[in-house]
Amino acid sequence: MSAALRYSLQQPGTPGFVLEVPQGGVTRAHLPDPQSKARFIAAVAKARCGEGEALELLGEQVDAIGSAARARLLRRVGVLSPSVALITNLNAWENISLPAAYHGSPAPERVAEITQEVLPALVDEPLALLARLPEQLNTLQRRVVAFVRLLVVGPELAVIDGVDEGLSRDECACVARFETEYRARHPSGTLLSSRAGSCTRPRCIS
Amino acid sequence: MLRALREIEGGLKLSLNVVGRMGRLRRAPIRESFLRQVYFTGVTAATGVVLRASVLGVLIIAITMDVLDADTDLAVKILLLLVFREIGPLAAAVVVILRTGTAISAEVAMMRISGQTRALRHLGIDLYDYIVVPRVAGVMLATVVLTFYVQFLAVLGGLLFSPLIIDATFMELAGRFSALFAPVDFFYSTIKALLFGFAIAACCCYHGLNPPNLTQNAVPQVVTRAVTQSAMLTLGINAVFAYIVFGILFFGLVTAKV
Repeated sequence: MSAALRYSLQQPGTPGFVLEVPQGGVTRAHLPDPQSKARFIAAVAKARCGEGEALELLGEQVDAIGSAARARLLRRVGVLSPSVALITNLNAWENISLPAAYHGSPAPERVAEITQEVLPALVDEPLALLARLPEQLNTLQRRVVAFVRLLVVGPELAVIDGVDEGLSRDECACVARFETEYRARHPSGTLLSSRAGSCTRPRCIS
Repeated sequence: MLRALREIEGGLKLSLNVVGRMGRLRRAPIRESFLRQVYFTGVTAATGVVLRASVLGVLIIAITMDVLDADTDLAVKILLLLVFREIGPLAAAVVVILRTGTAISAEVAMMRISGQTRALRHLGIDLYDYIVVPRVAGVMLATVVLTFYVQFLAVLGGLLFSPLIIDATFMELAGRFSALFAPVDFFYSTIKALLFGFAIAACCCYHGLNPPNLTQNAVPQVVTRAVTQSAMLTLGINAVFAYIVFGILFFGLVTAKV
């Protein structure tokens, strides 16, 4: 099976690591420390490597591509981080449907269908939530809205980065369902769920 | 010096991008953002602030006519040359800078700082399309409408107020004004208002998208720079435009009737 993502970090003075995520399926990666995880997420989110890093994303070496190719590559990758950035002057539904409305696909009916299927499984009062602005949502609700938006975009590689950070046990149980929901809608896509742990080598559970 | 050159280069690049992407306004989310901008810049400003700006125009006419001991002819010339051509568009531009310029620069800077622009890039949404084009187009349209509104109120106020200071009736002043008024005055105001709107919105978007750093402390700096440069650009455009159209360069593109 080919790799959807190959990343390596070699820093002087710290143990480096190599991460390889196979295409398709769900992979959970426990990265050595929060700094390494932040560097990894930044590299994937920008499709750009810093010093000591090497990244191959969906078969492309990010160092060898131009800005247009990088922009195209970024459209195939989705990152959901704890500090999800929703557009503040749009309500939850407008945030979810924004990419589809801009690109003209998927159709609005498909966006509504995905939202109707996913949202009630993850939050209470989904209809009321859709009408609220991001500032009126709690942390879990913001992450759920960003996740539904990610599902609508349907990237080939979705990286879910520590979305359970700062949540209660019940809320963590809710975000744990993200993987199943992604898998159900994008069977051929790759999902990488990353966490920082106190280990020297990344652990991948596929 | 280097920063100034970079800002000029960035401003020109942004302006050219906006001009080339005006067709994107047809897309639903961009059109909605454009309409929202027109509402916030044009409709919400059309009550208190613009009325006060118009009263300022009336006061200028009253004081000028009193000081110059004006007759009917001079009063109407002041109304046309000063109030209609210059103060109307400038007053509208000042309102737009103070109300909309500050809001746009702060909002866009916050979007940049809070990672919303990065999220848009990830969704494959071009920042020029979603952030800059609707704001620039919306502000241009709203500035033109506000300019007409200020001109109408200021000229009407001047025509109503002048008979209290000089020996002339409202009908005499209105008749003389309509005789002197030429279509060029209308086009002159419209083009100038469009240029003002473009310069203000483009300048504020540029500074919003390029804060000095990505902390909350950058927002006041962005707003200060955006407002200062918008005001300087507006005054510069006003001077150059008046000089080219009515000035001595090439003997003026237009010869004023007055």
